[in-house]
Amino acid sequence: MTWAETPKWVVPHPNAEDREFWEGARRGELRIQRCSTCGLHQHYPRYLCSHCGADTVAFVTASGNGTVYSFTVIRQNGVPPFNERVPFVIATVDLDEPGARILAAMPTLDPSAARIGMRVQATFRPANDELGFVDFESAE
Amino acid sequence: MGRNVCVVGVGLSDGPVTPDLSPSQLIAQSFRRALDDAGLATRDIEGLASAGYGGMHEVAVAEYLGLQPHWLDSTSCGGSSFEFHAHHAFRAIEAGDVDTIAIVYGNNQLSASGRTLGTGGGGGRGGMQPPGPMKYEFPTGMTLVGAYAMAAQRHMHEFGTTAEQLASISVQTREHAHRNAGAMYRDLITVDDVLSSRLVADPLHKLDCCVISDGGCAIILTTEERARALAHRPVFVRGGAGGTTHHSIQAMGDMTHTAAAVSGPKAFAEAGIRPSDVDVFCAYDSFTYTVLVTLEDLGFVPKGEGGPFVADGSLRLGGALPTNPDGGGLSNTHPGMRGLYLLCEATRQLRGDAGDSQVEGAEIAVCNGSGGWLSTQGTVVLGTEPR
Ligand SMILES: [Zn+2]
Repeated sequence: MTWAETPKWVVPHPNAEDREFWEGARRGELRIQRCSTCGLHQHYPRYLCSHCGADTVAFVTASGNGTVYSFTVIRQNGVPPFNERVPFVIATVDLDEPGARILAAMPTLDPSAARIGMRVQATFRPANDELGFVDFESAE
Repeated sequence: MGRNVCVVGVGLSDGPVTPDLSPSQLIAQSFRRALDDAGLATRDIEGLASAGYGGMHEVAVAEYLGLQPHWLDSTSCGGSSFEFHAHHAFRAIEAGDVDTIAIVYGNNQLSASGRTLGTGGGGGRGGMQPPGPMKYEFPTGMTLVGAYAMAAQRHMHEFGTTAEQLASISVQTREHAHRNAGAMYRDLITVDDVLSSRLVADPLHKLDCCVISDGGCAIILTTEERARALAHRPVFVRGGAGGTTHHSIQAMGDMTHTAAAVSGPKAFAEAGIRPSDVDVFCAYDSFTYTVLVTLEDLGFVPKGEGGPFVADGSLRLGGALPTNPDGGGLSNTHPGMRGLYLLCEATRQLRGDAGDSQVEGAEIAVCNGSGGWLSTQGTVVLGTEPR
């Protein structure tokens, strides 16, 4: 099964707190939270700011630009559909918005081209008609 | 300072492959052996600690073992749970809340689930709609091994650590397993063998990963006063501490530093020791990187210098810091969680009971459990003498 197809057991089960993240991804927006008390950002949605503890977080749309903090190449994953997608790169990306890091797949990146520090940008992939996933691709 | 606390009994189940034994039976078998080792009876056990799977696990274990404990600890933070239990038990006995506590664990990980723990959806990643922050990582195709791999990759980037250096940890651990008739894998291996084993998640190869086995383990702690009346030379708990930095790997922050940099110094200070005093290191070795990063965080070697340190043969018996003399998780046994085995092996070493694997004259041992994805760290210092 290719990256374009999402089996139903991989489709997220959104709740009131995180629905905006998944629906944003379907619309082509990376939705993260910004704290108006400390000015820092966070992924994934939470009630409190994980940096300062304030309850003053609100969704904003991130630029989608970031830098690879680290990565791995998944060469073994026994769970469908990932077993048919290997090898693929997964990266932790520090977004340009301070404070926010996201772990995401880089489906189009040649594993041999992955490196720490590479500039990347978000891309979006439907999970179903309402929800989507955030991936990243090289911006270099 | 309250009463001194000792480990007086240790027990291992049959293993490493026991398809005919359930998790409860593995617990009961190792518990029985720990009682026999200590010369104690079931009625002597007043407190119980365990970590497992499912609600009220430790209460079900108590019933299965015929215990009605008035002290319970169900701290469940992955492989490090048992170092947290030992630390809490130490504190409770020291304070006088309870005299005698058993810590138990058992799981038929291999026989029940095969080798799914790291990459097959059996480790909380890649499973079906996992709870908490794993919800965001599961749809990417991330695996448990991948989380450790990502942290190792960052260490290599920052400090020039090499795949060969990581591999040397597996090679030395296998030398120890070679001496242990009960170990799962005993054939000697080379750095090239590790590097030519298949990559599971870059930069970690198959032989950078721990084994998957079945097994149960139990230890019993009590007061020094009681310990003096029992069969074995008492092994003293000298100090302990825990730490937590994150749950999911995307929240780890600096992937080259773990909470062992917090738990280690606190435990060492309580124990009145320095890293250079340690004779045996029982390291959680879920992966080679787990050993490398905790060696640094505990202060056995400065940050970033773990690679050359391990490549120098430091982990061997007779090396600068003999590590996992029983063959560790990398070669001996790892039934889902391994933290309790570290305490068992440290006790054997300090008693001088470790046979072909004995570190001669061992007086101080450090156990460092790591849970989750380098998420939690628990450090316990044991010694042949009290603080
Ligand atoms: Zn804030």
